[in-house]
Amino acid sequence: MSDQPDTDQAAESPTSEPTPLEVFAADVTERLGCLSYDVEFDTVRVFVDKDKWVDTINEARTELPFFSWLSAIDWSKDYEVGEGVADPDSLEERFEVICRLSSVTNGDGVNFVTVLPRENPTIGSLTESIGGAEWHEREAHEMFGIMFEGHNNLIPLYLPDDFIGNPLLKSFPLIAREVKPWPGEVDVEGLPETDDEEDES
Amino acid sequence: MTSRELMHRSEVAVSVELETPNMTLNIGPQHPSTHGVLRLIATVDGERITSLEPVIGYMHRGYEKLAEVRTYAQITTLVNRIDWVSGFANEVPFILGVERLMKVEAPERAQWIRLILSELFRISSHLVFMSSYPLELGATTPLMYVLREREYILELIEGLTGGRFHPNFNRVGGIKPNYGGGSQSKKQSMDLPAGFFKSTIEAMDRMNKICDDIDILVTGNELFKARTVDIGVIPAEKALEFGLSGPNLRASGIAYDLRKIENYLPYDQLDFNVISRPGGDCFDRYMVRLEEIRESVKIVRQAIDIIPSGPLQAKVPRILKVPRGQVYSRAENPKGEFGYYIVSEGGKMPYRLKIRSTSFSNLSILSWVLKDQLIPDLVAIMGSLDFVLGDVDR
Repeated sequence: MSDQPDTDQAAESPTSEPTPLEVFAADVTERLGCLSYDVEFDTVRVFVDKDKWVDTINEARTELPFFSWLSAIDWSKDYEVGEGVADPDSLEERFEVICRLSSVTNGDGVNFVTVLPRENPTIGSLTESIGGAEWHEREAHEMFGIMFEGHNNLIPLYLPDDFIGNPLLKSFPLIAREVKPWPGEVDVEGLPETDDEEDES
Repeated sequence: MTSRELMHRSEVAVSVELETPNMTLNIGPQHPSTHGVLRLIATVDGERITSLEPVIGYMHRGYEKLAEVRTYAQITTLVNRIDWVSGFANEVPFILGVERLMKVEAPERAQWIRLILSELFRISSHLVFMSSYPLELGATTPLMYVLREREYILELIEGLTGGRFHPNFNRVGGIKPNYGGGSQSKKQSMDLPAGFFKSTIEAMDRMNKICDDIDILVTGNELFKARTVDIGVIPAEKALEFGLSGPNLRASGIAYDLRKIENYLPYDQLDFNVISRPGGDCFDRYMVRLEEIRESVKIVRQAIDIIPSGPLQAKVPRILKVPRGQVYSRAENPKGEFGYYIVSEGGKMPYRLKIRSTSFSNLSILSWVLKDQLIPDLVAIMGSLDFVLGDVDR
């Protein structure tokens, strides 16, 4: 449980009646023996122990058969481009691997999340039971450096074979930005008031 | 070995079937039927494909990384270009996701305009399929007929948004503002151009007509049927396993349409059918798309009757700062489920944007579905999946 992000404590503290989505999330969490859940903005996240990852996903597919996508998030304090996390001091550096399954008869869908350490992230591969996971896992492997054990074709999907680095890591620089720095407000759409009057005067 | 034995042996050698050793056949990356740049490495035994390895990534533009250095308003420009045949439909789930995070809702009229545009792009995208698919099977006539009709849709889109393919028309909380049109209209959003309803209704009549024409030209064609019926069958459980969505999944007998089950845009006020067919073969995938054009025509006609007047833009701050949170927002793209997983850390740019693009999942079944098929069916099966390489490579 120590691996959990700080956001779910807030979401889990029951202040009012649970919404139908929360009831659904709690139900899924209990039946599949998962760690915890979290519902925000109508998006259900269920946290899974990384050792039970493959079994949980396979079991969940009996009721949520549609394999939507699999990807990861790099939670890191240092970043090369863009913006970092809101409070880096309390951030626990980690990878989150997310697999989304959904129903095809109603709007139910769950993002199954598991937490991996940033050093040697390794997790079981879903490819044995979900053929569609092959490309998604290859993408996550090249973009984040996550190892999927049991995947028998873990070669780069998008990147050239001799590419060095994992581009979606927060620490990976964006070469275009290095060459030409971000111009800032210049790119942002101008205010309507400043459009013609100032030009004419 | 005596000469008699030798003669005997040579007779045996002639009578047994010749072995055709595995040969590797490279198709692409530049190939007329690949809808972009896609390379296929096929191992063939005679005419039969024993294994196939698609190589993608020739058009990888790294949108997920680029999105981390773009403001939310700038990302709509990027996402237009993911699936360039249905540009507007890619914007919709992204902008709805940002609106959900910011807890703003676009005014009703803006939502209806979004809905009409989504459907126009659906018709346009399906018409591209209707023109290119018969061409891939050797029928050259439908191409020009159908593309000509598509121009009517593109003209409508251009008249409304100013762009034919990449309208970039959505804004958080509404649609594109019409700045610079004189002092009167400065604070007003762009509304529908004059005569839009009339020309839309005319175009919709043409669409019904072209559907009938396609029916006559293509659907009943014996050669077309011979190339598509019972070819490339994808059973429902395989389609779900590979995350196929849209017409590809509905042709496998699963009536999965986010317009019905996901609560977004006022689709619930409209009367339309979800088209599904049980066969799972190339012909059914084609038929589902053809029928969907007719359904979209129905939707646009109803929407024109219902669309209320009113404002087009909700109040949002000029510099968008999106509150902390994570949201998965999805919508029914012409090709299937298109979704964005937006992770915001409270800044002007997303911390992470995962793009669930439709064609990526739709194409991932290629190795499975082409195994043990014949080389002549390769193009028929590949084309029936209706993918766009920009959507695969992102």
